[in-house]
Amino acid sequence: MLASILASGLAAGAIYALVGVTYNTMFSTSRVMSFTAGQLAMLGGVFGSMFTLKLGMPLLAGFVLTLVCCAIIGIITEFVAVRPVLKSLDQHLYVLSTLAVALMIQQVTAIKWGTEPQPFPRLFGIGSGVWDEKFWLPVVACAITIVGLEYLYRRTLVGRAFVAIAEDNFAARALGLPERNLRVASYALAGVIGGVAGFSGGELLLAFFANGALLNFYGFVPVALGGLGNNRGAIVGGLALGLFQQAANFLVGGIFSSVAVFALFIVVLLAAPQGLFGASTARRV
Amino acid sequence: MAISRRDVLLGGAGAAGAAAFSFPAPAIAQAEPIKVGCLAAMTGPSSAPTIGFNRGVNFAADAINAAGGVKGRKLEIVMRDTQGDPTKAVNATQELISQAKVHAIWGPLNSGEALATTPIMARAKIPDIHPCVVESLIDVTKYPNAFRMAPSNSQWDDAVRNYCLNILKVKKVAVIGDTTGYGVTAVGASVAAFKKDGADVVYQANVDSTQPDMTPDMLRAKNAGAEVIVVWSVSTGMEARMFNVRAVMNWDVAFVGHPSMSSGEIAGLVEKPANWKKVYAIGYKSCSYDAAGKLPSKSEDLVARLAKANIVMSDTLLWWIAGGIDAIELIAKAVAESGSTDSAGIIAYWNTLSKYPGYFGNYSFSPTQHNGYLTEEIVMSEASTAKNGTFALAPGYT
Repeated sequence: MLASILASGLAAGAIYALVGVTYNTMFSTSRVMSFTAGQLAMLGGVFGSMFTLKLGMPLLAGFVLTLVCCAIIGIITEFVAVRPVLKSLDQHLYVLSTLAVALMIQQVTAIKWGTEPQPFPRLFGIGSGVWDEKFWLPVVACAITIVGLEYLYRRTLVGRAFVAIAEDNFAARALGLPERNLRVASYALAGVIGGVAGFSGGELLLAFFANGALLNFYGFVPVALGGLGNNRGAIVGGLALGLFQQAANFLVGGIFSSVAVFALFIVVLLAAPQGLFGASTARRV
Repeated sequence: MAISRRDVLLGGAGAAGAAAFSFPAPAIAQAEPIKVGCLAAMTGPSSAPTIGFNRGVNFAADAINAAGGVKGRKLEIVMRDTQGDPTKAVNATQELISQAKVHAIWGPLNSGEALATTPIMARAKIPDIHPCVVESLIDVTKYPNAFRMAPSNSQWDDAVRNYCLNILKVKKVAVIGDTTGYGVTAVGASVAAFKKDGADVVYQANVDSTQPDMTPDMLRAKNAGAEVIVVWSVSTGMEARMFNVRAVMNWDVAFVGHPSMSSGEIAGLVEKPANWKKVYAIGYKSCSYDAAGKLPSKSEDLVARLAKANIVMSDTLLWWIAGGIDAIELIAKAVAESGSTDSAGIIAYWNTLSKYPGYFGNYSFSPTQHNGYLTEEIVMSEASTAKNGTFALAPGYT
């Protein structure tokens, strides 16, 4: 039982963590919590299944096309749901606009793709039981993504520009950084990360339009637990959430596991409103 | 007695009025088509059954009209797309009754819509025949106009329980459903009925259908000693995951339950075709083939007629097509036997039916019983054996 909890808990947790990172990536350059994060991950599974199974493309080509499509959806989100409301961030209109885009993505997927779960191809055919690739692939994808992001943010000029925008938007613009282009790029990057989450978790979650709402929800928990904008917190929060959820599934049953998860979530937020890894930011006056 | 000019005018007007009211009316009625309203979710997520039902509806209407209609009156199918949306179904129902002035209605084809439209049809006293499973849709006091020509939920439940207890001869049962309203209600009813019949329900659960790993519930059911797993869910993803987990666990327990377990989509979701074996889904005698691959003779004839008319059967279920044919034929027969399209006459005729021989099944209605489908015609099918919308009988039937 412990092996099963660890295998499926870490797999689900890695997917939640990646969705959490997707939220953070969009948030960092726009200060907008875009509720399209889960839908991007859902699309990763749907596009992956469509390109590789339905259209019969080679795995690599299907993977790259999936990421490209998710990046495009990310960019569309920035143009349609984020840019028009940036001037009035304090009114939180982005909640409505990003939710609207998320619902549109979900409905269009339901109409065009179908409302039943569709199969996702077996990618490498490695492992069985608790070592099946459907369990370890999301974990590996999560690890590679984090290493890649760390490299991007710490070692590249573009990454440092992202960080600059995230740290202080006005100062970055005063230094001549192309804030708008960087924001579009960050939404494309978020699309890619969401796509990776959906593609790597496709064997576990299947290509199913309803995964979007589920991942929106469970992907938000690690963000809140780990602290808004804190990728390391999102990773730890996501993995902890997955493990706790699976343990609850085994110990108290599926119908109560969501209750257990959200009870813990509320308790943590009451104890640490800024998240377990978040810090209240000082504002210079 | 003197006859004045006024008397002549009044008499003439009265005669003309009487002539207008009495003589041409029957002539119009005899020529008027019999309008059958169809509330069909032709588009949207729940459109798959409608596509099958509509093939049967159109096939039956064409056949009746080609043979001269019903006592010379043609059948006119007035189709409305409800998109599976109760609100649209309500609007369409009102439009069919008040604008299109249909004589009877077939549908809606799913319970969610029917729950919304049945009271409206009852108020208008319009004869309605439908295949929806929710128990409360049939109530001869509240809805004396509503008739069900497919099994109700409790009939499915009875058939599943009968198969488990009397054919598989198991006593320890696990009952698993999803967390939808349907899943929770169906699991509760199933557990109560199993216990009433003396079975030992060793495990019951409602599982979120998006739960990625079904190992926890399968493990608990196994540890509890379940000899069969009864499934009440329409989620093919959840069902396929359970079949896959059973294989990983090397557990040869049988699954028995909801017809969705025989959905073609499961073929792509199971990791190996073998994982879909020993799964027995609800089916019907009329649409199940025996070990020799033969359907009942009446169904064989129907399949031959459908094939001759180029009706596609490979992408749908035969019972949907047969049910659509039966519905239209039941309406046509009621008009023929009652002699008019009068609502009361159609309802009165249906109330007299005893084992009326349809293609999908034999129907019996009475003034106190509007569940027309007979429980003994429900059987279990081998879920993975679909062939032109029919299935192989599950083991144990002769």
